Amino acid sequence: MTEIRNFSIIAHIDHGKSTLADRLMQATHAVSDREARQQLLDSMDLERERGITIKASAVTVHHRHDGEDFMLNFIDTPGHVDFSYEVSRSLKACEGAILVVDAAQGVEAQTVVNAYLAIEQNLEIIPVLNKIDLPTARPDEIAMEIEQVLGLPAEDCIEVSAKTGQGIDALLAAICTKFPPPRDPLTDKARALIFDAIYDDYRGVVVYVRVFDGRLKVGDKIRMMGLDRTFNVTELGKHTPKPTKVDALGAGETGYLIAAIKMLGDIRVGDTITIDADPALEPLEGYEPPHQMVFCDFYPATDTAGKGADFEELRRAMEKLRLNDSSFTYQAVHSEALGFGFRCGFLGLLHMDIIQERLEREGGVHIIQTAPTVSYEVDVRGKGGKIKTIEVHNPADLPDAGVIEAFKEPVCKVEIMTPKKHIGDLMKLCMDRRGTFKNQMYVSDTRDMLTFEIPLAEIIYDFYDKLKGITAGYGTMDYDITHYRKDNLVKIDILINGEPVHALAVIIHRDRAQQRGRHLLMRLRKQIPRHNFEIPLQAAIGGKIIARETIKGFRKDVTAKCYGGDVTRKRKLLEKQKKGKSRMKSVGSVQIPQEAFMAVLEQE
Amino acid sequence: MPVPDRPVRRLYIHVPFCSHKCHYCDFYSIVDTLDRQRAFTDRLIEELTALAPWSAGGSLCSVFVGGGTPTLLRTELWGELLAAIDRLFDLSTIRAGLGEFTVECNPESATEELFQTLVAGGVDRLSVGAQSFNSRHLHTLERRHDPVNVARALTLARQCGIKRTSIDLIYAVPGQTVDDWAADLGEALSLGVGHVSCYNLTYEPNTAMTKRLGRGDFDPIDEQTEIDMHTLAVATLGGAGLRRYEVSNFARPGQESDHNLGYWRQEQWLAAGPSASAHVAGHRWKNVPRLGDYLKIDDGGFAAIIDHEPPDAPRLLRERVMTGLRLTEGIEASPILEEVRTLGDAAAALSMERLAGVYVARGLMRAGDRWALTDGGFLLADGIAAEFMALIPEST
Ligand SMILES: Nc1nc2c(ncn2[C@@H]2O[C@H](COP(=O)(O)OP(=O)(O)O)[C@@H](O)[C@H]2O)c(=O)[nH]1
Repeated sequence: MTEIRNFSIIAHIDHGKSTLADRLMQATHAVSDREARQQLLDSMDLERERGITIKASAVTVHHRHDGEDFMLNFIDTPGHVDFSYEVSRSLKACEGAILVVDAAQGVEAQTVVNAYLAIEQNLEIIPVLNKIDLPTARPDEIAMEIEQVLGLPAEDCIEVSAKTGQGIDALLAAICTKFPPPRDPLTDKARALIFDAIYDDYRGVVVYVRVFDGRLKVGDKIRMMGLDRTFNVTELGKHTPKPTKVDALGAGETGYLIAAIKMLGDIRVGDTITIDADPALEPLEGYEPPHQMVFCDFYPATDTAGKGADFEELRRAMEKLRLNDSSFTYQAVHSEALGFGFRCGFLGLLHMDIIQERLEREGGVHIIQTAPTVSYEVDVRGKGGKIKTIEVHNPADLPDAGVIEAFKEPVCKVEIMTPKKHIGDLMKLCMDRRGTFKNQMYVSDTRDMLTFEIPLAEIIYDFYDKLKGITAGYGTMDYDITHYRKDNLVKIDILINGEPVHALAVIIHRDRAQQRGRHLLMRLRKQIPRHNFEIPLQAAIGGKIIARETIKGFRKDVTAKCYGGDVTRKRKLLEKQKKGKSRMKSVGSVQIPQEAFMAVLEQE
Repeated sequence: MPVPDRPVRRLYIHVPFCSHKCHYCDFYSIVDTLDRQRAFTDRLIEELTALAPWSAGGSLCSVFVGGGTPTLLRTELWGELLAAIDRLFDLSTIRAGLGEFTVECNPESATEELFQTLVAGGVDRLSVGAQSFNSRHLHTLERRHDPVNVARALTLARQCGIKRTSIDLIYAVPGQTVDDWAADLGEALSLGVGHVSCYNLTYEPNTAMTKRLGRGDFDPIDEQTEIDMHTLAVATLGGAGLRRYEVSNFARPGQESDHNLGYWRQEQWLAAGPSASAHVAGHRWKNVPRLGDYLKIDDGGFAAIIDHEPPDAPRLLRERVMTGLRLTEGIEASPILEEVRTLGDAAAALSMERLAGVYVARGLMRAGDRWALTDGGFLLADGIAAEFMALIPEST
């Protein structure tokens, strides 16, 4: 009889999650020393570089403890709360979580948010103090921090060094003894949770499942209960960490499934798989679609030679990436200022950055990104006074102010871990960002944890940079979107020479509209070249102008003499003057280089 | 060598000599310490001999001798040059008073003997480089003449029978005030000239003046003052009956420089002398600029040339727009648009019309089929022309 343990490792970035996973696998002889060096759970360059894990996957190893055989299933989770939906989904497949905290750094914001997610799922948590080999490690103090902040007893912490291997045996023992076994089956009908899926060029979609009830066998015709689609299972297996085929996956087990599924769009992570011929009556706990919270436009950028602005290339790159990541959305748009592009939705800010980087790196396209906006909920009064709620994530799509009953924005619970001396400045920052103070918690003699409610829109606008600045890099933050809240929100239109530029429109709180409008205009003024006439720049709410700037026209450029008969020389001078301007976009008869938009948007 | 389908009826001659190289000037000129006037004249006559057949069958309607300082050429050499022109070209139109034969003149070098020689050779128009009547500003420009000599030269010219006179003025000289400029304009009008050219001081690359500006030796005139000076010239000269017919040129009706209008209307002209630019049958080229090369290289009488541009419809169109918009008469739009369409770019023609729309009330007037710059538009003539030119497709 083999015991099964399903668990995840959660940690703040850089606290050693990947290193520890490798070390655990090595200790169970799943990988050789050489392989251990190549962090196996992370498969993409980009993740490696950023030190985060984007794609969850599962690895199965065997371990003997107290004469018993244990099958340990490591379920990897994304390391950032942008993906909190994905994190909690992965945690759903587990009974336990290892919470890794750097013994030199202490509890950070991400530690807290991830731990909360695990607690919400009723998981057993083993707190681990990592990097105790470091001379700067303060395991006792950090254990106290864990107790203070998360309420996990300090004496429960296991001290390890993922680097030297110290404490790993104790950790393996705790995994076997402290984590509970999978729950008993509730039914003999098969029910398996899809907790992740990846796209593989050779095998198509590879689905990661956790079987809760019954069993899945190769050859089964399976049914996705949410999507109501059927597929035939062609392969079942486990990563040990090399893919190893099995004939069946029983209750409590974790593995992968291949069933000639062509696209990630054909399945839904979170869905329940059952057997078509003998289906379960109820799916496992409800399916929640991933929610895109941050939106922006991507446009193909021209390089300095005016080449490369290829919409079709961008489209191909998007389609390809979408095969790998079904959690971002895109839709073709056209902007008077930037041409053809895509409006894209992301789980969060980091997700947006990752997608942009991958498009540029893997798709070889250069992208101009517009300022991100969040997804708003707008209550609109329709015919007969009926109220309808619509989702708006593009300022251009906002209905007339006249029919808007309520304008609601996503609000986040933000956890900030900071040295005590910066608390005053952080309070001010959060208040400036329309934040509401919720809680202040003692972490250690030098650090506190602050909890605020802050609109997501305020966080995506350079909040993190400001926080890092205020705390000299020592502060950390993480956030989780909790609810929508009504507020006095307005759309600012930016007009160039009287014509609105949709790509520059922003939704913002009325109190901050004027400042932001002025700010945008000032930047635009610096970027738009002078013309032969005066160009008014305006920021407006509805029809009302709230800020204006003027780009003075050239007043005089004429050179007196036409150089006698030397027409050529004069012509060349004028031709040179206009060179490179052919790539300009024309808005309200104002010629604007694409770079000007880029510069304005990039600084956003 | 291009073969014109019609006789070329205009001739430009460049005389490169100067007594002193002015700091702002970037025309080709030399202080001739080697006394190469004789060699130059001989070589010039040789070149004119080679060029003359292109003009055969048509009488010249304009000759312009510029420089440098043409009046530095010794009178006896002038005599030879003029005799050669008379012999090689048909001057009947000019001699009948229906053409124009201009010589540029430095106020200091005016002598009765010279002027009589010029008149005998057919010269009927004198353009005097006055630049300013204010000694201080002349000094800044490194012009060494005494301002009173301008009046003296003009009087002498008229006495000798030169009917038409013009003077050149320069404004926006560092240190100059609007009042100083008003005084210069008043002085110019009091001289009774029928034509005035007003050039704003331009800092040409590679001139001593531009280097001094770069070093911060002086402050240039600010933009507003320069605009005020420009506007004052238009008002003052216009008020006195000298109408602006080109960005920088003003004349009593009928006194416009026909030769220069020929340049600006894309007509053909022959060119002789170092650095002179020609336009024949759609070709443009320039003679070698250095006197030494000019004297040395003899291509069957022709001068060696540089910067040759063969006929190219889009280029010619761009030039037409560029020079045409500098004229008060403007450009005729429909033939230009039609040619752009013929070049296969209907979209470009449409863009040009749209651009004209953008500039209406912002410097451009549309009167019937004519597009012409307004007084305000003239201040921006370079930029506006550049925008129209940019829309004309490159030849493929
Ligand atoms: N000294 C020391 N360094 C460690 C230890 N564990 C991880 N690291 C280092 O900490 C950094 C972050 O580790 P990594 O596993 O990538 O962190 P992750 O972002 O949580 O996956 C890397 O440079 C590791 O080599 C440890 O036990 N001791």
